[in-house]
Amino acid sequence: MFEHEVNPENIKKAEFVVAIPSCNEADSIAFPVQQADKGIKTFFGNMKSVIINCDNNSNDGTKEIFLGIKTDTPKMYISTEPGVKGKGNNFRNLFQKVIDLEAKGVVVVDADLKSIMPEWIKHLGEPLFQDFGYVAPLYVRHKYDGTITNSIAYPLTRSLYGRRVRQPIGGDFGFCGKLAQTYLQSDTWSDAVANFGIDIWMTTIAMNENIPICQAFMGRPKIHRAKDPGADLGPMFRQVLGTVFEMMIKFYPFWRDVKWSKPTSIFGFGLGEVEMPPPVKVNKETLFQKFQEGFNSYDHIWEKILQKETGHKLKEIREMDKDRFDFPTNLWINVLIDFAIAYRDKLWSIDELLDSLIPIYLGKTLSYVKKTETMSIRESEEFIEEECIQFEATKGLLKHRWNKHEKSA
Amino acid sequence: MAKILVVDDEEHIRLLYSEELSEAGYEVITAADGFKLTERIDKEKPDLIILDIKMVDYNGLDLLQEIRNRFYNLPVILCTAYDTFKEDIKSIAADFYVIKSFDLTELKNKIAKALEANIPSS
Repeated sequence: MFEHEVNPENIKKAEFVVAIPSCNEADSIAFPVQQADKGIKTFFGNMKSVIINCDNNSNDGTKEIFLGIKTDTPKMYISTEPGVKGKGNNFRNLFQKVIDLEAKGVVVVDADLKSIMPEWIKHLGEPLFQDFGYVAPLYVRHKYDGTITNSIAYPLTRSLYGRRVRQPIGGDFGFCGKLAQTYLQSDTWSDAVANFGIDIWMTTIAMNENIPICQAFMGRPKIHRAKDPGADLGPMFRQVLGTVFEMMIKFYPFWRDVKWSKPTSIFGFGLGEVEMPPPVKVNKETLFQKFQEGFNSYDHIWEKILQKETGHKLKEIREMDKDRFDFPTNLWINVLIDFAIAYRDKLWSIDELLDSLIPIYLGKTLSYVKKTETMSIRESEEFIEEECIQFEATKGLLKHRWNKHEKSA
Repeated sequence: MAKILVVDDEEHIRLLYSEELSEAGYEVITAADGFKLTERIDKEKPDLIILDIKMVDYNGLDLLQEIRNRFYNLPVILCTAYDTFKEDIKSIAADFYVIKSFDLTELKNKIAKALEANIPSS
């Protein structure tokens, strides 16, 4: 039976909320709920708190499992209407609930987390009561985990909006109650945001609102359902990239004046020895093959949207064999600029346009994998830092092309 | 003229930076340790801080955290003799870092870049 809300303890007000978005997570939700409960008890014991499961009306018993978990903290279940899916839609329900509860701080953690500790709740939540409005996570991640973050989301948001938030689509984060209102009132909501675009959307809005941001060091890797970067990316890639490009259009008046970037505060130490993440396997052959296949499937789109010299360079690296393959960072930046402008000017149907970026992204990923193969995690972080500096240094070119096309459009 | 606060327990470094950065057109003030540093920042209102990591009685990375929490956008450049500090996650709260050298070209470049960095108010 569909229930929009189940509130067994009739909670009307709460200062602190831990929210767990889900869609069919019956087999995994218990652990994060138990850890959240411990975290609340230990570190927010003096606050009126609630754990909220924001669900997509799962049909695998997520609701029953969630409500059946024994916790000291009261629990509440809210759901989208039957048939309405998407992580972002869960968050929309959450924003309204946060406003209704008049909560001051909200921590969100993924329902499939296997490595969450009670301290994560402290580290993501405490800064919200110390003048920070948005808390992004800092995990130790394997160098091949989070390649969309490493190649696109981090360098682009950093160079566009000027704030160095290493995991802008981390999935676990904190935000102040005031931001819930901002999110709910934003006129940038879209289908992509209603799905996987939600994380980058929330981070980008926080940056554009000049909300004080800090990053919370989690001390442990994020262990959940890992994804091979070569595996089927389609919907997630489209939704994240679509949101990034959409926000670029909306927030141009802000980012055009951003120069270089600034760090954030770092919060959360004392978790003892830092645990290393498990290895992520990457199939280089698949990445190479998918990059090559892109020319057969999407050459007609690239021909239309890429600058002549960018298309030419892309064809040059196509000729390289797998062992010599190299995708220069400046070429990648030029590709992203051309795609952002094509997206803005609607030079092609949006879904097909974004799909056509996937093989190029996989080529860039292959190049990253090859270059960082013998590097430690720290060294690969320095490599990404160097790439970010190139993104920042190319901001002038982005602005030039953005304006030039806008005037001629 | 931008005001730079140099925090370093080595006198010759404070002197070197004072001379060179003054010549480069900056107003330079110095501190030999981290004692009441945030109060000093409040009072002197520097535009940028150059912070030594390993001082006898103070850990520059802890000071960095204090500075960043109170002065969210104040540029801080970490200065160190070794790059092992990168092992410590706290170091990413700095705008830049430089390895100590008698050639201050890199430091001057980073200072210029840090002072130039801009995030407009929304």
